Amino acid sequence: MLRPERMRRLLIVAPKSETDTIVRELYRHNVYHIEDFVPESGSSDGLSIGHPLSGASDAASALIKIRAIESACGIDPENVEVRTRIPASKVRAMIQTDLPAIIEEVEGLVASRSRLEAQQKEHEQRAKELEPFVAVPMDLDLYRGYTRFSVFTGHIAHDVTIDAPHEKYFSDKVDGNMIVVVVPNEHREEVERTLLDAGFQAIPVPDETGAPADRLKAHQEEARRIEGEIAAINGKIAGIRERHADFLVACDELLTADVERAEAPLRFATTEETFLTEGWIPERNFEKVKEALVRATGDRIYIQELEIEDDARVPVEYENPTFASPTQMLIDIYARPRYSEIDPTLMVAIVFPIFFGMILGDVGYGAILLAMSLGLRKIVKGEGGRMLLKVLSYASVSSIIFGILYSEIFGSALPWPALIFSRHLNIGGAAGGHGPQVVELMIIAIWIGLLHITLGRILGIVNARKIYSGKHATQAVLSHAGWLGTMWGIMLMIWAFYAIPLMPDLTGLPVVAMGLNVAAVVGVVLLVAGILGIAQENPLELVELPTIISHVLSYARLVAVGLSSVAIAMVVNYIAIGMIIEPQLEAITPVGVIIIIVGILVLLMGHALNTALGLLGGGLHSIRLHYVEFFTKFYKGGGKKYNPFGMKPKFTEE
Amino acid sequence: MVDVGMTLEMVQASQMGMKALGAGLAVGLTGIGSGVAEMGIGAAAVGATAENRDVFGLALLLTVIPETIVIFGLVVALLLLF
Repeated sequence: MLRPERMRRLLIVAPKSETDTIVRELYRHNVYHIEDFVPESGSSDGLSIGHPLSGASDAASALIKIRAIESACGIDPENVEVRTRIPASKVRAMIQTDLPAIIEEVEGLVASRSRLEAQQKEHEQRAKELEPFVAVPMDLDLYRGYTRFSVFTGHIAHDVTIDAPHEKYFSDKVDGNMIVVVVPNEHREEVERTLLDAGFQAIPVPDETGAPADRLKAHQEEARRIEGEIAAINGKIAGIRERHADFLVACDELLTADVERAEAPLRFATTEETFLTEGWIPERNFEKVKEALVRATGDRIYIQELEIEDDARVPVEYENPTFASPTQMLIDIYARPRYSEIDPTLMVAIVFPIFFGMILGDVGYGAILLAMSLGLRKIVKGEGGRMLLKVLSYASVSSIIFGILYSEIFGSALPWPALIFSRHLNIGGAAGGHGPQVVELMIIAIWIGLLHITLGRILGIVNARKIYSGKHATQAVLSHAGWLGTMWGIMLMIWAFYAIPLMPDLTGLPVVAMGLNVAAVVGVVLLVAGILGIAQENPLELVELPTIISHVLSYARLVAVGLSSVAIAMVVNYIAIGMIIEPQLEAITPVGVIIIIVGILVLLMGHALNTALGLLGGGLHSIRLHYVEFFTKFYKGGGKKYNPFGMKPKFTEE
Repeated sequence: MVDVGMTLEMVQASQMGMKALGAGLAVGLTGIGSGVAEMGIGAAAVGATAENRDVFGLALLLTVIPETIVIFGLVVALLLLF
């Protein structure tokens, strides 16, 4: 919690003969993050990259075949539901017995499908070439085989008159018109010129015999027949997918594991007789893995724990309570935390839904989004998508809770007045009670901003002490304290001069000097001390001073974006119900019924649109407040992702 | 400015109208402002993300920075109206 998982850096050295055992053991535990060995050019330590274990190339080529079949059948292991887990030994046996037959069948089907597709294309092409000739009532043989005559066939812009002796057929029944001209060879050139002047475009006579219309029909029928055959083959492939998907994904998984294991030595350093590998193991797994390795190799292994020198090199794995873990996704979008800094996931997991609820506080929209996130969980199978949906479901629950507090459902009021500040706008004269309490809400938002930013700065102080050391750490801490002092100094001065509802009223304090009361003087002192604190680290930072105001005011979006969504909902209700439906209900006529249906459509469309806008507004603005206003105060990020060597079997079991 | 023929109600109504106009201008103009600002950043951010998906978070962050402008506009508008 609040810190990434603690890691230990290991050096494992063992004789080469133990490579297979050790790789197998590490893979099984699925916790060891291998630090890839990079040989330094020109170094004389005699280390070189290891060679893959035996069987690597066989497994790899089998894997390629299986992946090819999977893609031919449209199987995506990511999206396959786990129905049964097949024992690994059974899969291995089936790879020997069943797989060749499946591969042959699928390859045969795919080959005949591509052959048929080529044929179909050929027929379609022929049919297309024949189309213009259908307009001419003449057999195709008659276009060819003359020694004393030339035949022109082609498209032309308009009919032409030809001076030379000729025979001609013109049709405007086809696209671009069709003309056929037969002339004696001696007039060929002048006729060609005449035709070209009229925009003649020659088309070759198809190499076929018989009436064009019959041929066209024949080709079209053939193409249709082949299409049917292709559909049949697709059906067969779908059948294979249905029958063998479980087995194929299990093969994929098993062989992937084999290949990964066999290729692991490529990431190790080797000498003549030994290999060594450096890597990371979470602290809680350390002893267990160490023991297992020693036992598996019969003590023919040397494991040493190394000092962690550079925290940027440590792989980072989150360690959060279950409810907060989906939020890690949102942190990863920004950047994974560095090993030694604070992991803000837990804070985001709590505050993000609250912000979302404050913005989209509406029972109706919250319920729609909750249903949507729960429903989509069945369809979306990717890891990231599911995590995002979980975050959304928490946010929509918060939205429902705030909806009850604000007393809002689809922009109308619930049967009770708002329990906290009301957001009911006076649209269409519908507002009851005391109208929207915009100013109060705005001040609450400012308070949230002040506290959130203060929290961020305090975390910044904690981080600075962890990341830096010595003089640099002191400077960074003072600078964060300076920002805090400046912000609260400004606030004290504002409170000393203006009485603001829901905020401390310090206007009545005794005046000390120059018309300034105690609070104002304290404020000025804090402000000046703060500015000095910021400047001692880096004077250039002073240009950022206005961001104190803009970041705090930025939290006003919690109210502003929310109010705009309320306004849209109320306007939709007013237009659909108040202006379209209600006047018709007074005296129902046939036309009125249609208008009422239109009104209902407007209502549904409007609320669907507003749900989408609310999701975008609520989600993006809440996360933006974290990314821009909160994280910039303390969060660096840029940690390396912890990627353990191994795999959690989904479709197979040992 | 006040015409002799105007009643108090008319003056109040016209004041309300001026406020509404001001609120509309505040939101509209700041909206245009942040739109113009986000245009360039957004285009560059999409390009950068296409090159390297890891920068998506940073790109989103940079894209929404000018959004503060329109939020200020909205705040001013709401304070004007209520």
